[in-house]
Parts: sequence; structure tokens; C-alpha cells
Amino acid sequence: MAEIVCGSRDTREINAEIKQAIAAGDRDIVVKDPGARHNLGVAVLAPVRIRFAGSVGYYCAGLSDGPHIEIDESAGWGLAESMLSGEIVVRGSAGNGAAAAIRGGTVVIYGDAAARLGVSMKGGTVLVAGNCGYMAAFMGQKGTLVVCGNAGDAFADSMYETVCFVGGRVGGLGTDAVVESPSQEDAAWLDATLAQYLPKANKRGQDFKKIVAGRKLWNFDKREWKVWQEAL
Amino acid sequence: MCGIVGFFAKDGGQAEIGRTILGMLRALGCRGPDSAGVALYGAPDDGRFVVRVKLGDDGDLGSRAHQISSRLESFSGVSHFSTIGAYARFLVGGETDLKRLTEAIESLDKDFEVVSMGHRLEIVKQTGSPDNLEKTYCVSRMKGTHGIGHTRLSTESRVDLSHSQPFWSHGSPDLAIVHNGHITNYHQLRRRYEQHGVRFYTENDSEVVAIYLAEQISKGASLHEALECMLRDLDGSYSCLAATERELGFVKDTFALKPLVMTETDEFVAVATEEIAIRSALPGQYSVREAQVREVRVWQK
Repeated sequence: MAEIVCGSRDTREINAEIKQAIAAGDRDIVVKDPGARHNLGVAVLAPVRIRFAGSVGYYCAGLSDGPHIEIDESAGWGLAESMLSGEIVVRGSAGNGAAAAIRGGTVVIYGDAAARLGVSMKGGTVLVAGNCGYMAAFMGQKGTLVVCGNAGDAFADSMYETVCFVGGRVGGLGTDAVVESPSQEDAAWLDATLAQYLPKANKRGQDFKKIVAGRKLWNFDKREWKVWQEAL
Repeated sequence: MCGIVGFFAKDGGQAEIGRTILGMLRALGCRGPDSAGVALYGAPDDGRFVVRVKLGDDGDLGSRAHQISSRLESFSGVSHFSTIGAYARFLVGGETDLKRLTEAIESLDKDFEVVSMGHRLEIVKQTGSPDNLEKTYCVSRMKGTHGIGHTRLSTESRVDLSHSQPFWSHGSPDLAIVHNGHITNYHQLRRRYEQHGVRFYTENDSEVVAIYLAEQISKGASLHEALECMLRDLDGSYSCLAATERELGFVKDTFALKPLVMTETDEFVAVATEEIAIRSALPGQYSVREAQVREVRVWQK
């Protein structure tokens, strides 16, 4: 196991050391004292385990392809942005724009997520044990977003094919968001996924609301001008 | 950009707030290299007003301070005054009409500006980095119960002491604000206030936040209510901290476009633009979270 102590060093040096440890064959890396620095563990393209023993700042684990990254405390803006594959686990809360534009992989947040969670997702899975903020899943194209607690206002606005599940209340639905009951397959998937990633969430799949796009914004139709006016 | 920080010690005693706020600001120096400033709530109220006046950029600042001091004697008496850097600091006793006092000082010289006034509020700000602020004013030595701070990246107005933050809300004692963002209906609000005779000291849109909050509070609103009204009346993207003699509060805009994180423990509350500011100034175990859209919080002694 490689141990990297941040101390007073800058981000570039710490990231270089992470890359060197991976190149040297280390598959289990602990980064101590990250102190909420920005841009830590960006573009890790190998199936390694990295644990940040503390908080991280903006854009941690962005552009990941394959790693399992754990953050002991909270994460700042843009966590795991544009990730291709891997697992990112935050034991605290996440800032704005967590899991934005991810294409694959799994992002797990034990605490709350702030605004714009999973915006423009193009795949992957986002799991939040707590609540999520304003405008989550905006323009989501694919993938699945699960919030065990409450969702904020303008939830699932202008989506394509992202599927959302909310265990608590939805503060307000976004344009073209439609609430459905989860199917048996959905409930079984939720039960299995939560058992694997968030066993303490204490939620049953059948109790979630399913939110998908109503598909009214997919094709422009001038007879639906009012819908467009509201959306734009 | 810009960086804002706030700290509130819960035990009510005299904490090392200068050191804490400066430590937080240093971590946000890169967000705002143009100026740095703090508003600290210091010694317990003994009934006198602390008045801090910007004397100007050059010339004999000592004699300028004397000029103000002799003018203030016609009020309730100046019991003490000192000159530090670009500021004169006066202690003024008794019942005082703040507006008349401000006019008396500022009519003496066009360079004079009352930067802060209140029973406990002390604003110190200047262009440059938090380190420079410490070099000139030794803010880390200041003790008190709570405070706010700012590092500025100027986008639309001049870089000088007057345009730096925090802003005192002229007219309302002890009320100070720091703001990160843009108030997009600033010109409209400013016109409206100017029609009612309110004087603006700068071209900085953040100034209107202080004026707005002072107006709401003078109408009887609590700080919490005033910050909530801000969401209705001030457009744009902003994270804003406001402090009074006994309170610290924040508001986050209706789109959650500007960052603001917070933590609360049994001992303190800390709020900052980025978590790195809190972690670098305050060791220990605590959790930090981002404020939610439209969130308003106020802590009170």
C-alpha cells in the first residue's frame, strides 16, 4: 500500500505522486491530509483503490476510468465530472454539480448532494443516501439517479432518458418530468443496488417514486408552444 | 470569483477571531488578489461607538485625524483616538446621531470616508493580499466573538480601499456584509435609493446589499427576514454573508450559482466560499456541507 501525505505540497505534486505510485504497480493508495484541495485524483485511468483520508475540493476524481476512489469526508464542486467508469464513494456531502456529465461508473454519496447533481448524465449510476438540491438530473440523457431522501426544486428538468428514483419528497418537478410507480424490476434493482452500496439507507425499492421524461420536449411541435415557453 | 468567509464563536467569550478569519482568507487569496478586508466584532459594548475613518492615501494623516477629532468634540466627546495605516479610529461616547456624525466627518475633506461605525464593529480593508493586510494592520491580534472577511477579484469597478469589502451599511450601526457574485438589478435599485436621498460611496454592486439590508432592518425586519427578502428583491447570482453586533447570517441565491460551504460544531460556526478555507484555519473533526439554493441561516448570541 502506498501512503501519500499532502502536507504543504501543491496539487500538481500530489497528483504526480499518485500517478507514480500507480505506474510502480501500487493498487491501494491512501492520500492523507488532503485538506479540501482542488483537482485531486483527476484522470486516474487504472483499476486502483485510492482513499482520500479527509475532505477534497473541486473536481476530485473527474475523468476517471476504472478506479475505486473513496473520500472520507466531503467533496467540493464537480465531483467525478465526466467519469467513464469506476466507483466514487463520498462518506460526507458533495458540493454542486456532483457526477455531472458522467458516462458510466457509480457515484455514491452518503450525505447530501447540493445543486445540479448528475446534470447531463450520459450513463452510469448516482446514489445519494441523503437529500439532493436544486435542479438535479437536468438534461439527463442516460443512466440512473437515486436519491433516498428528498429532492430539491426543478428536479429532472428537460430530461432525455435518465431514470430517477426518489425515496422522499420532491420539492418541485422540472419541465417535462413525469412521476411513475416503479415496476417490479425497478424495485428489485433498487433493493439489490442499495443493499450493495447503501445498506444503511433502510429503504425499500417499492417505496421510491420513479421520475422520467414525459418526452414532450424531444421533438419540437409548435402546437405545444406553451410547454416550450415554460421550458425556455 | 471573490472569496468570502465568516466565523462565529458560540461561547460568547473573546476568541482569536482575527487569527481565524485571516487564516481562512489566506486560503482564498487566489480567488481575489485585488483586495482583502475583515469586519470583526471586538470588545464588549461599553456604550461608546467605534468609528473608523479612511483618511486618504497620502499627506499628513496624523494632522487630518486631529482635524476630525476636534470636530467630533462638538458631539458627545471623543474619548480616545488613534491612527493606524490609512485609518483613524475614534471612540465616541454618549447618544449620537450617526448620520449627523458621518456628515460632520465627511464634510471636512473629500478623501474622508467613514468605513465603519458601531458598538463593536471594526472594518479593516486595503488593496492587495490578506498577507499585506496582516502586515499593515496586524488583524490576527484582534479578538472578539465573530467576524466576516473578503478577498476581491474586481470585475466591474475600481480597485481601491473604498471599493473593497466588507461594506458597512452607512446609517445602521454594526451591520456589515461581504458578497461574492453579481447583483444584476443593481442600477435599478441604485436609482431608486438615490431618488430617496441615499448616498452611494462606490460603483461596486455589493454596496447595494448593505444598503438594502439596512433598509429592511430599519423597517423592523430581523436579519433573517431581511436576508430572505433579498431573494425576492435582489436579482443575480450571489452568496452573501451579513453580520450585526450579535449575529452572523448568510444567503445563497435562487440559482445556487455561487459557492458557499458551512460547518457548525458545539463551539463554532464557519462559513466560506471553499472548504479549504475552513480546513486550513480550523483543525479538528467536523463535517462541511454546501449551502442549498435559497438557503438562509442566522446564528445569534
